[in-house]
Amino acid sequence: MAHPTQLGFKDAAMPVMEELLHFHDHALMIVLLISTLVLYIITAMVSTKLTNKYILDSQEIEIVWTILPAVILVLIALPSLRILYLMDEINDPHLTIKAMGHQWYWSYEYTDYENLGFDSYMVPTQDLAPGQFRLLETDHRMVVPMESPVRVLVSAEDVLHSWAVPSLGVKMDAVPGRLNQAAFIASRPGVFYGQCSEICGANHSFMPIVVEAVPLEHFENWSSLMLEDA
Amino acid sequence: MAGAKVIPNGRRLYCNCPFCVEIVRNFMDSSSTLIWRMLATRVFRLVGNRALSTSICLRGGHGVAKVEDYTLPAYFDRRESPLPDIKFVQQLSPDQKSLKEKEKGSWAALSKEEKIALYRISFKESFAEMDKGTGEWKSVVAGIFFFIGFTGLVVLWQRNYVYGDVPHTFDPEYKQKEVQRMLDMRINPVEGFSAKWDYENNAWKK
Repeated sequence: MAHPTQLGFKDAAMPVMEELLHFHDHALMIVLLISTLVLYIITAMVSTKLTNKYILDSQEIEIVWTILPAVILVLIALPSLRILYLMDEINDPHLTIKAMGHQWYWSYEYTDYENLGFDSYMVPTQDLAPGQFRLLETDHRMVVPMESPVRVLVSAEDVLHSWAVPSLGVKMDAVPGRLNQAAFIASRPGVFYGQCSEICGANHSFMPIVVEAVPLEHFENWSSLMLEDA
Repeated sequence: MAGAKVIPNGRRLYCNCPFCVEIVRNFMDSSSTLIWRMLATRVFRLVGNRALSTSICLRGGHGVAKVEDYTLPAYFDRRESPLPDIKFVQQLSPDQKSLKEKEKGSWAALSKEEKIALYRISFKESFAEMDKGTGEWKSVVAGIFFFIGFTGLVVLWQRNYVYGDVPHTFDPEYKQKEVQRMLDMRINPVEGFSAKWDYENNAWKK
């Protein structure tokens, strides 16, 4: 989750998310440079004491300010395309989880070995234990083994939703009647929060997603416990 | 000029618009006595038919069409075009007229005040006056501050009379517990929140 007054991205728990962080820094630096340059030129134009302001023709500067932006665009495009293809690489998931969006909760199904399924509702504000995060906690978390490639198949039962966990670099629309695939690897153990990212009705702000990455033994214990409870 | 009408004294009419042609024809056809017509013709020749056409036709439109203000030569003060189309003072007072006559002689004979007076006939503002600016920005900034302050008052009123209480999760003790939980869960441990906490010494990193 974000800490108070946080402006930047959350720390990545996924290698591709790290790449995205670095790319964002790179692109933002270019954008800031260009904006500063333009702002400087505007102030210089407005406050000049010179009177000859009407340049009619100049081949050299026109060549420069055509080639230079093309070069800058290439510098932005190459890392961007690299990450794009990185995201689409073939990975061999160890686990497949189905995340189904409902109005207004998520349900998760682990059907690789046994039939495990449960709903994940937000904890209402008045029921929070001291220290829990308001509007972010759920009663059941989606537990995954850490450092294992996981495939999430996202869909919806009624209206459009979107399954998003920023730390894992995942945002995938849940479309009724369609299966969308997202993949991630949790590189570190921890709890990662996200929120529904497609307007879906009155309680759209109140259906969060919590992913808990734990070592494999803990995951196995947890799934056994959940199967017993079901 | 093609199609120029020739009037009896041999001069061509400067302008062929119906207005001017009508004036001249009426003049020529009037049934006044011969001697008056001869006198008038001589006066006309002296003054020149250009004066007749100039007074009506200088501004285009030939006295028929409407001439817009913005198409006429106008005075302006602009740094990048230092010479306006017309002088600033169009109707000269007798003093100014005599000054203009004096200007035709040697300029060394002009005193400083006379030179300044001649400048002020041709131009409204000097370059220094043009560059000075109006100080309008002070009123604008004052208006901005006023409206920001007013908005602040509105927001305060809203906070007191419209909005309800914040949730209990905003209480300081609750916030304390939240921070402790975030540190325990190692939220953002790489560069963010938990990275700034020194776990050995249980304090924020210096």
